[in-house]
Amino acid sequence: MRACYNPLEQSEAPLPIIPYGTRYVLPPEWEWREHLKHQIQSTLSSWGYAAVQTPALELFDPQHPQSELAFHLTDRDGTLLSLRSEYTAPVGRMLRADLLGHQYPLRVSYAGNVWLRGLESELGRLREFTQVGAELVGVSSAQADAELLELARDALESVGVRFRLEIADRSFLAALLSTSGLGHAELEHLSDIIERKATPELREALERYKVTSGLKADLLELPDLYGGIETLERARKIARTSEALESLEKLEQTVKLTGRDDFLFDLGMARRISYYTGFTFRAYTPDFGQPLLGGGRYDTGIPGAGFAIGLERVMSALGTPPALPRVQVLALDFASARFARAQGYRTELLHGSSVDEARLEAQARGPEFIAHGGVLERVNP
Amino acid sequence: MIEAHLPLTHLTVALPKGRVLSTALELLRQAGFPLSIPESSRQLRHFFEGVTVLELRNADVPVYVDLGVADLGVVGKDVLMEAERKVYEPLDLKFGACRIALIREQGASGPIRRVASKYPRVAARYLEERGINAEVIELGGNIELAALTGLADAVVDIVETGATLRANQLEEIEVIAYSSARLIVNRASLKLKAERIRPLIARLEGIVGG
Repeated sequence: MRACYNPLEQSEAPLPIIPYGTRYVLPPEWEWREHLKHQIQSTLSSWGYAAVQTPALELFDPQHPQSELAFHLTDRDGTLLSLRSEYTAPVGRMLRADLLGHQYPLRVSYAGNVWLRGLESELGRLREFTQVGAELVGVSSAQADAELLELARDALESVGVRFRLEIADRSFLAALLSTSGLGHAELEHLSDIIERKATPELREALERYKVTSGLKADLLELPDLYGGIETLERARKIARTSEALESLEKLEQTVKLTGRDDFLFDLGMARRISYYTGFTFRAYTPDFGQPLLGGGRYDTGIPGAGFAIGLERVMSALGTPPALPRVQVLALDFASARFARAQGYRTELLHGSSVDEARLEAQARGPEFIAHGGVLERVNP
Repeated sequence: MIEAHLPLTHLTVALPKGRVLSTALELLRQAGFPLSIPESSRQLRHFFEGVTVLELRNADVPVYVDLGVADLGVVGKDVLMEAERKVYEPLDLKFGACRIALIREQGASGPIRRVASKYPRVAARYLEERGINAEVIELGGNIELAALTGLADAVVDIVETGATLRANQLEEIEVIAYSSARLIVNRASLKLKAERIRPLIARLEGIVGG
């Protein structure tokens, strides 16, 4: 006969007992994490964003921008499935499936786990992590972009984390690069270099590709095209085409609508998740190398834009969790415990202790009261 | 927005031990950073006004910078190519020049089936580009021995002067990449600490020449 499986039995296998890149969430962290999640979702809700959930199991989609990084499973009929690796694509699919009707614009929010197989598990990078985010679907305008920037700001402020928002738009860089007349492979290579802000390599590549000296000088500005609001003015000086100017004007308009001037900009950002078609944005926090939040506009099919906050990263940036609320009463029987809880006290049952033992334990551990025979007895001041 | 900068923006700099360390410190001094580490120091971390210097192993510099534990670092392009880390590389500091090359025993002409290297990713990328089906063996040091002893048909390694190659009857078949020391910067730090890092890049560029 097979031995019964006992989950509490010490396994003979050496550590680790959970997969690489995953972790247990213990008290007091769990309560803190739920609180932060709730805080962010309440903010999203106060802006009229309604929470939804999509299945963690998805049908495998080779077109998905993260399909190579996602975990894959096989269903019993052989269908390939993926574990949810981000929310924007599945939420978009859900909206296209017409589950919410077409009362555009639609405002939805989500919170839940996502999994990435490919990630190195390091500081701020887990293979199972939590995203809380929002999508504003069915509208494409500077006003909509501004709403998301303000919403993102509000959501991060609601949890008290320090941050700066950075806005990028690849279309400026793309417009400039397209005037070079270079082929796809060369442009990809240049994008790679610009993404790393590797100015010496860029200079060398532009010489090798025999790019005209005027355009070369302008393209060499791209890695350095980051900073505060003055970045847009600097970009205007090298905007060679109407498309480049248009993308700058749209950014200016968006920023103006928010009524703020404390954004960072990077117009030399050359890579992004492939579904983004317009502006993208991130939130940086001091002394933490990874962005807390990422988002942007995707105007393919039904236009939309959104962002996701990495909850674990926010927690790392905030530091250690606050202590759990203390137990206030030690109760010796169920009736006394029920009585104490009805008074609003956090109450723990003692098993098989005498009243004297309960007093000693309360003195040692700190609860104000013990409860026995239906009454509360104060033990600690 | 809750203010994201500290009173005096502090910078943490990751530098590799050894020869690069002293040259990098000299460059940073010239760029106005008050750094001085006594030769005999056994400290791994050095504190100065507004700057902390971390002394690391070569290959660890991109890790510290990518993860934001250090804001910036100095490391060879060879190490960066192998590390494949998402860091900014705004400046060629133009010292520590060397090249990564495919090396074989003089006169070797057989097919390349096994390649030994301290740079397995660089080697694998190169072999793929050249359409050579070879396995890559990662080794820790004295890579040339692999080619001499028959452990591998060729090696991918750095060459500075070529003296070691000549002394061991080895020859450079092809240069894969040229390398020199680079200034690397964490992606968030460049943006959040721009008021200190941007002028530093400009001063260093003035010293080494763009």
